[in-house]
Amino acid sequence: MRLRRMRTTSQAGHAMLELAVCAGVLVMFLAGAFQFGYTFYLYNRLVTAVGNGARYAAQRTYRGASPQDVERGNAAIRNMVVYGDPQPTPESFAMLPNLRPDQVEVRWIKTSGSAPAAVDLTVHHYTVDAVFHSFDFDGRPAVEFPYVGRYAPHEREP
Amino acid sequence: MCSCMFILLAAMGLAFDLGRIYIVRNEAQMFVDAAAMAAAAQIDGTPAGLERARFAVERLPGRWNMAAEVFREITVEFSGDGQHWLLPTATHPVAEPELLRLARVTAPANRVDITFLRAVGGPKQFTVPAYAVARGRGAEPVRLVE
Repeated sequence: MRLRRMRTTSQAGHAMLELAVCAGVLVMFLAGAFQFGYTFYLYNRLVTAVGNGARYAAQRTYRGASPQDVERGNAAIRNMVVYGDPQPTPESFAMLPNLRPDQVEVRWIKTSGSAPAAVDLTVHHYTVDAVFHSFDFDGRPAVEFPYVGRYAPHEREP
Repeated sequence: MCSCMFILLAAMGLAFDLGRIYIVRNEAQMFVDAAAMAAAAQIDGTPAGLERARFAVERLPGRWNMAAEVFREITVEFSGDGQHWLLPTATHPVAEPELLRLARVTAPANRVDITFLRAVGGPKQFTVPAYAVARGRGAEPVRLVE
């Protein structure tokens, strides 16, 4: 009788120890799965947003009457990436958490004269806060699209 | 314990490996979209235009696997009707380039290394191909078709 009680007590201790070890591993696995899953999910959405913005930039009219007009056009492209809308309202919200227009670089590639041949969009220092760890994406995603829109060097942005 | 480990690895595999596969799919699609538009913009009904189209795709910067690798084995084909596709080379130029108005760019060899799913019976690599078709010729605006 005494021996059986001792055995039960001893096994209960083993079970506690096993649970402690297994729970540690399990939590680490689940944390890792969440961390990478969430980061990949956001990065995938970022790739989509940059692609949509680049497609928009490649097809929109390039108005270059003044540097301010070019900058206004670039702002519309950045808004397209961040808000999915070139002219967002104050109620618009960013498609990805912590993504701001100033993190999107718009670079026009000009080969001959001043007509753009391509447009390059790059995201700088986008941080994904995955609770257990933060990931910083600098210089990616980046995409270059050929410019196929209308070139209007003397027009002004509306 | 063994079955628990199996399920854990499968869950990790779903989160990690499938996440990467979806990212590569998206990156590859974005690249071929840009490449098809770049190629279609050069089509002008001459063999030189087709050569310029191939060159435009070659010089287009594009990276995949979270910008870690460059695209390889890219093919650029041309068509007039969208049914019959031609792959012109230096030794086999196209007979009637004036009929061509569509460009199809394929990135067939984007192989993602599988990390966790292979431990539970999944493949070692997964290929994520992508293609896009764009139309454009002369005064026509360049547009993605597929």
